[in-house]
Amino acid sequence: MIQITDLEKFYKTEEVQTIALNKLSFNVKEGEFVAIMGPSGCGKSTLLNILGLLDDPDGGSFMFNGTEVAGYNERKRSELRKHNIGFVFQSFNLIDELTVFENVELPLIYTGVKPVERKKQVEAVLEKMQIMHRRNHFPQQLSGGQQQRVAVARAVVNNPKLILADEPTGNLDSTNGNEVMDLLIDLNEAGTTIIMVTHSEHDAKYSHRIIRMLDGQKVTENILA
Amino acid sequence: MIKNYLKIAIRNLWKNRTFTALNILGLTAAFGVAILLGMYAVFQLSYDRFHENGENIFMVYSEDSVPDGVEANISKSEPFAAALKEETTGVEKITRYVGAGVLLNHKDKQLRMSGVYVDPDFFDMFSFPIIEGDKQNPITSETSVALTKHAAQRIFGDKNAIGQTISILRDEEMVPFTVTAIVENFPETSSMGFDVVLNFKSQGYHSYERAIGRWDVENHEVYMQLAQNVSPQQFEKSTKDFTQLHYKNEIDNAIRDGIQPNSNGDYRQIKLLPLTDIRFANFNQGPVIVSRTMPYLVLGIAILILFIACVNFVNMSIAKSDQRLREIGMRKTLGANHKQLFFQFWGESILVFLISTGLGILLAVLLLPQFQVLFSTRASLSALLEPSWLVILIVSFIGVTLIAGGYPAILMSRLGTLQSLKGKLEINGKNHLRNSLMVLQFSIAILLISGTLVLWDQVEFMRTKDLGFNKNQVIAFPLNGARNDQQALQLLRDDLQNNVNVLSVTASNNILGLGKDGSRSTSVLGFEYKGRGVETHMLVVDADYIETLDLTLVEGRSFRENLASDSLSVIINEAMAKQLNEEDVLASQIDLDDAVYSVVGVVKNFNFQELDQHIAPMSLFALPNWNLRNVYVKVAPQNLEQAYTDVKAAWNRIEPNAEFQGSFLNENIDRTLRSERTMTTMIGSGSILAIILSCIGLFAMSLLIVAQRRKEIGVRKIVGASVSSITVLLTKDFLKLVIIAFVVATPIAWWAMHQWLQNYPYRINLNIWIFLGAGGIAIVIAMLTIASKTIKAATSNPVDSLRAE
Repeated sequence: MIQITDLEKFYKTEEVQTIALNKLSFNVKEGEFVAIMGPSGCGKSTLLNILGLLDDPDGGSFMFNGTEVAGYNERKRSELRKHNIGFVFQSFNLIDELTVFENVELPLIYTGVKPVERKKQVEAVLEKMQIMHRRNHFPQQLSGGQQQRVAVARAVVNNPKLILADEPTGNLDSTNGNEVMDLLIDLNEAGTTIIMVTHSEHDAKYSHRIIRMLDGQKVTENILA
Repeated sequence: MIKNYLKIAIRNLWKNRTFTALNILGLTAAFGVAILLGMYAVFQLSYDRFHENGENIFMVYSEDSVPDGVEANISKSEPFAAALKEETTGVEKITRYVGAGVLLNHKDKQLRMSGVYVDPDFFDMFSFPIIEGDKQNPITSETSVALTKHAAQRIFGDKNAIGQTISILRDEEMVPFTVTAIVENFPETSSMGFDVVLNFKSQGYHSYERAIGRWDVENHEVYMQLAQNVSPQQFEKSTKDFTQLHYKNEIDNAIRDGIQPNSNGDYRQIKLLPLTDIRFANFNQGPVIVSRTMPYLVLGIAILILFIACVNFVNMSIAKSDQRLREIGMRKTLGANHKQLFFQFWGESILVFLISTGLGILLAVLLLPQFQVLFSTRASLSALLEPSWLVILIVSFIGVTLIAGGYPAILMSRLGTLQSLKGKLEINGKNHLRNSLMVLQFSIAILLISGTLVLWDQVEFMRTKDLGFNKNQVIAFPLNGARNDQQALQLLRDDLQNNVNVLSVTASNNILGLGKDGSRSTSVLGFEYKGRGVETHMLVVDADYIETLDLTLVEGRSFRENLASDSLSVIINEAMAKQLNEEDVLASQIDLDDAVYSVVGVVKNFNFQELDQHIAPMSLFALPNWNLRNVYVKVAPQNLEQAYTDVKAAWNRIEPNAEFQGSFLNENIDRTLRSERTMTTMIGSGSILAIILSCIGLFAMSLLIVAQRRKEIGVRKIVGASVSSITVLLTKDFLKLVIIAFVVATPIAWWAMHQWLQNYPYRINLNIWIFLGAGGIAIVIAMLTIASKTIKAATSNPVDSLRAE
């Protein structure tokens, strides 16, 4: 599903150039659950942004489902993103002014799904995430765990092929964290590819494969299952 | 999607209640005031535009060459109109026009109304529709009269007026007239105002019969309707022969006196002034100057106020955008494109603008009565309901919303996805824009404050200037009763003789300043003096005029008590003496057609005209049995109110049916300053609103900036900064903006006010303190606005701010 080869990303300020990704290469197969680990500043989040088509690489190749997407412009990236990729962030990134239902509905609005169909899909996913009873609440009325459930619901409502999770349990206690990880496992078992950036060895153990990074490069790769 | 936008818009506006309220408050005030000011300007600009033939109607005037350039002359002679129609091509219709107050009797009712004497073409030219009676020839007869619907109701109530007889005072006799037509009440935007329309020939002896066939008596205006196929310029050119034929003497005299002709080589040029320009024309400054400065200035103030409110909106929207970065980023991550985000944010702006416009309209409706009183205008909101103005209003609304709401929307929709998700913004560029806009806001406010201060100073200067006569102790009023002037004056003198509050009584044919009845007139006399042409204003006075008004005699004597013995004497002012240019001016004589008058005295120059004019030559005559239209009563200074009441009571005893329209001369002078006062109030109100709105923006900015710099303030305090140094740090940036605004605005204000003051020969000197005062006011108000927030931030506990980070 994903093939990256010699991927490079630099950040330039007036005086300094920092290498975020240094000729990084690896593949992810459809249905895989991959964890990416490494110390702060090793390039994990940069990698996730590029994989999520939120950012452009400065060099190398990025094949998504057999198509080279490295040179895509913002419009094309957006198109591809909204139909194929779901995101889960450490800080949830729910929109405070929208209710649980409306937050989850948002991706469907942008992909042009009709209101009746939207309602059906949102309700189904809220049921699945067991937060239907909170559908009319605003994010600030929910606990961290509940908020992350909503974020996961929003990420999967469009049935994306790939879910990118950036420290999904970083802001949660262990009970809530485990619940979120269970959700991700369920999704993966249902066929969704998951790439997760994490600092937590515990969470990484849920994955099939752990890629460890340092200074923008892959240092080790452990297959767990 | 729209529902989603609307929902989030409402929730966002509610969440940021303080900013929403500040925005709506500012925009509502700006829209409300802009609507009122726009209405005022539109009303002014709509004057005389309701006449169907208006585009082809012109006032006929002449530009006469005089020693110091040209002079516009709108008074025409009795034979002029008929001769012009006869001898030139292009005159389709023509009418003479003179307005005068008329005293009218019907049964036991006596009313004073405003009348106009016109020729029969009048009703064909102007759109004053006749709704009853003779629609074809309403005033062809010299004994017929047309009344406006309103006047007919005042005289006859609900009874049919057509065919009824009313009497009108003419040459001391009540003359019967038959009502032949009722004219529809005309719009407020008519500069011609009247109750009664009479045939031009129905005037009294002095105004009409005495002037028949004479080209040298010019006492009325002339309006003509130009043929469709002739341009005004063509017509003006074609009158050359007409002018040379009928004004040969005047032209010869001008050549003899060495006066320079105009650029076409003419000494007298007939010119046409479009009907719609008349209200904006100034005839006192040489050539006719048509200036719509006032309505455009008012529109300008409206636009500036809207601009300031919109700047607040733009600045607040941009500053608040960092609080929505994650939302923007998330929406983009989920697939929202630029267009969708733009419409979402723009939609929020439209919502705010719609609410503000609605409230603004409501505010305008509520403030309308006070506005009408404050600016002495009859303008109403219906002026804006004309389709063309309505379209302009709607387009302006869309334009304002598009720019003020669209710009922040574009900025927000174009933010990078990742940058937004991280909640970081490159803010330098935005700050430049924000700072520039704030400088512009305060520049406008300082400009308006300076303008107000200068205007106020000049008006005060004119109001309190020593005009050369006693304006505080003299009550003036028109002789508007049924008795003849001399008789009424004598009765008044007898009545007030023993009143201790009354010092002297006199009369003259002209009024000083602008009387309560709104009348004002002046007579100019031209004659030959030692082989050259001389012009002087002419004033016919009664005994004690000089003493009553406290004019200062600089040479010779005043008129004697026995006025008849001075019927061939004339007293002149210093300007006239200068014009006569005699070593012994008291030995000079003025030879007019009817008699020779000896100069017996010279009075110090006094401002008998408005202060936008230099003091012209003036000659005072004591002609017996002349119509003396105005009484002047000098009263004791100790008890002015009682004296006024006594004079009023005396007049009511003498003329029980006439309204007493007396006022002190200083009130008359005040009335002449009405347009300056309106302008001062207008710009003054504009400047108050401008500074309030600018401060609303400043307050909002201080809230946001203090919030943004919370961590910095905390760190600074931890490393030892004092409360005062933090307050100075936060205040400094805003103070800098207001000082830049002061530097930008002051030269513009100085230039604009210098230009404006050139209209007045008597003016204040522009003083740097006025401008420093304006800047000082802006700075103090700005600092007070942000003081509470900056001091609060400076005194806050640094631990709290760092913990929040």
